[in-house]
Amino acid sequence: MSKQPRSSDGRVSRQREPLPVEAAGTSSLSRRQFLRRAAAAGGLAAAPFIIPASARGQDGAVAPSERIVLGGIGIGGRGSGDLNWMMGEKDVQFVAVCDAKKSQREKVKKMVDGRYGNSDCATYRDIREFLAEREDVDAVLIATGDRWHALASVMAMRAGKDVYSEKPSCMTIAEGRAVVETARRYGRIYQTGTQRLSEAKFTVANELLRTGRLGKVHTVRAHIAPWDAAEMNYDWRPAEPEPSRDEVDWDQWLGPCPWRPFNAAYVRGGWRGYYDFHTSCIGEWGAHTFAQCQVAIGAGDTSAIEYQYVNNPTGDGMVTKFANGIKMILSRGNTWWRGSCGVRYEGTEGWVAVADGYAKPEVSSPALLADSQKLVEDYTARTRHPMSHVRDLFDCVKSRRQTVANPEVMYRSMTTVHAANICMWLKRDLKYDPVKEEFVDDAEANRLRSRAMREPWII
Amino acid sequence: MSKLIAVLESDAPHKEKVDACRQLGLVGTKDAVPVLAELLGDEKLAHMARYALEPIPDPVVDDALRDALGQVKGRLLVGVIASIGVRRDAKAVKPLVSLLKNADAEVVRAAAKTLGRIGGSEVADELKQTLADAPGALRPAVADACLGCAEVLLAADKRTEAAAMYQSVAQAELPKHFRVAAAQGAIQAR
Repeated sequence: MSKQPRSSDGRVSRQREPLPVEAAGTSSLSRRQFLRRAAAAGGLAAAPFIIPASARGQDGAVAPSERIVLGGIGIGGRGSGDLNWMMGEKDVQFVAVCDAKKSQREKVKKMVDGRYGNSDCATYRDIREFLAEREDVDAVLIATGDRWHALASVMAMRAGKDVYSEKPSCMTIAEGRAVVETARRYGRIYQTGTQRLSEAKFTVANELLRTGRLGKVHTVRAHIAPWDAAEMNYDWRPAEPEPSRDEVDWDQWLGPCPWRPFNAAYVRGGWRGYYDFHTSCIGEWGAHTFAQCQVAIGAGDTSAIEYQYVNNPTGDGMVTKFANGIKMILSRGNTWWRGSCGVRYEGTEGWVAVADGYAKPEVSSPALLADSQKLVEDYTARTRHPMSHVRDLFDCVKSRRQTVANPEVMYRSMTTVHAANICMWLKRDLKYDPVKEEFVDDAEANRLRSRAMREPWII
Repeated sequence: MSKLIAVLESDAPHKEKVDACRQLGLVGTKDAVPVLAELLGDEKLAHMARYALEPIPDPVVDDALRDALGQVKGRLLVGVIASIGVRRDAKAVKPLVSLLKNADAEVVRAAAKTLGRIGGSEVADELKQTLADAPGALRPAVADACLGCAEVLLAADKRTEAAAMYQSVAQAELPKHFRVAAAQGAIQAR
């Protein structure tokens, strides 16, 4: 995939410190031009050339030209899980990590180098430096906190990278729109981390609905996180001495968010629940479950049009409605399923419910599951989306087809998340026009569709 | 709202002023603009002033942001330019064009980005020239602005002008994804 230099074992050469322009003499040359000139000068012909089998794509290895060169931005706990998953793909090679926290940079480097048996994983503190220097990187895994997901995605796509972004993938409706437009402008492949869209048991539920076996579907239920609240925290933690920029680049960590004094708890993960950093209990799991429901009911390219305020701190029980007449009800507890990120689809002929931890969906009639395997096989044959979310991304990086959780699916489902949050914050019913992308007759709600980014960040 | 304005005019602690700005972003009117405009040059509160100003649907906000273009520098100027871009203030084209020659590369990038968002024939000519003259480090940002401008032209059905913008990007020395974007755009502009 990448056209950057690679070492003889087929791995991409580390380019942490580029040569000064004068010394390199290649600033305006493509790699091919450089190689051609170097070869003409005898530089490449001088050394004997032994190409190992792995570099030729033999011995079960993937040839370097077919490998996807991957970088990471903000790889913490969840991101490390993603990274392990991605590094398990034979055609993926991870080369560099960017993080505002030194300890995290080093932790990821240690993990990656340990896995590859070398010391090649490069580290970067500044995302701008990372994106500018690493032209060899084909795709990036973005697993920062919520506050950076959309901006980092847009910056990466402008730099020519394809993107896997953890969810919730935008802090505002405007950020989501920017992700869609940037991906479209540059023809970039993007996958949001709603991995249940690539899991068989959830796919069975969606296919039962799509194929009409539940009859006319009137209601879907979506799980929201049973911790935190829709009400947000605007306080600041007590100020603590700011570490050196190398240890924790606080300015970079805050990114586009309003400045506040440093407190180590934020960078240890204690940013959830704060308005500036988080999308509430609704965004925490709604990013998954709303996307699942919307894809299931054929609303992956739109958003809910009505939001019914509920007088509680969480949004539990909020009824939203789509233009096709289907209601989506937010549910915090385990009434309708057992386990996390549950969804339930109810039609005139039956229902299906599924959540994490299920071996197979629960259904109103066992007959609904008679051909589950075939439903999944037909789905993958029809859509060419495999039952692996990261594999789907990497297949699409190669084929340039749209992923299952593409920018539009992310944007439209996250718009429903944000609109539900805004409904809770303003404590009143709202109507949203997904075509005009604005709330109907509600100026205050419309003001909450975007937030000014802290300088110097521009999306 | 008058209470929020009073907080900003007082010696209240920084956090209270931050909260007041946040609230003004939700309920502020043109009456809040003068006090917020004063803060655009305040290192600690400039962002929150823009946070309040950006969503206020009154043209006096645009006047205030345009005025600030000549008064603030560095990061604060970048912020003001970004807010003008969010509001797509066409009256700001002339001062923004002059910032394309600013010595601060971040200011040039921001000005180009915002001009690309505003779009229009005059902007197109300026951005094409800037792209032609831009040093390597600035070229991707200016090219991105050109692509944005072309999209605005396309949306206004100015296909010939949009095609010319895409052509200028296609001809510039840029990474491959810019050429792909320009080729895609050129097809749409036909």
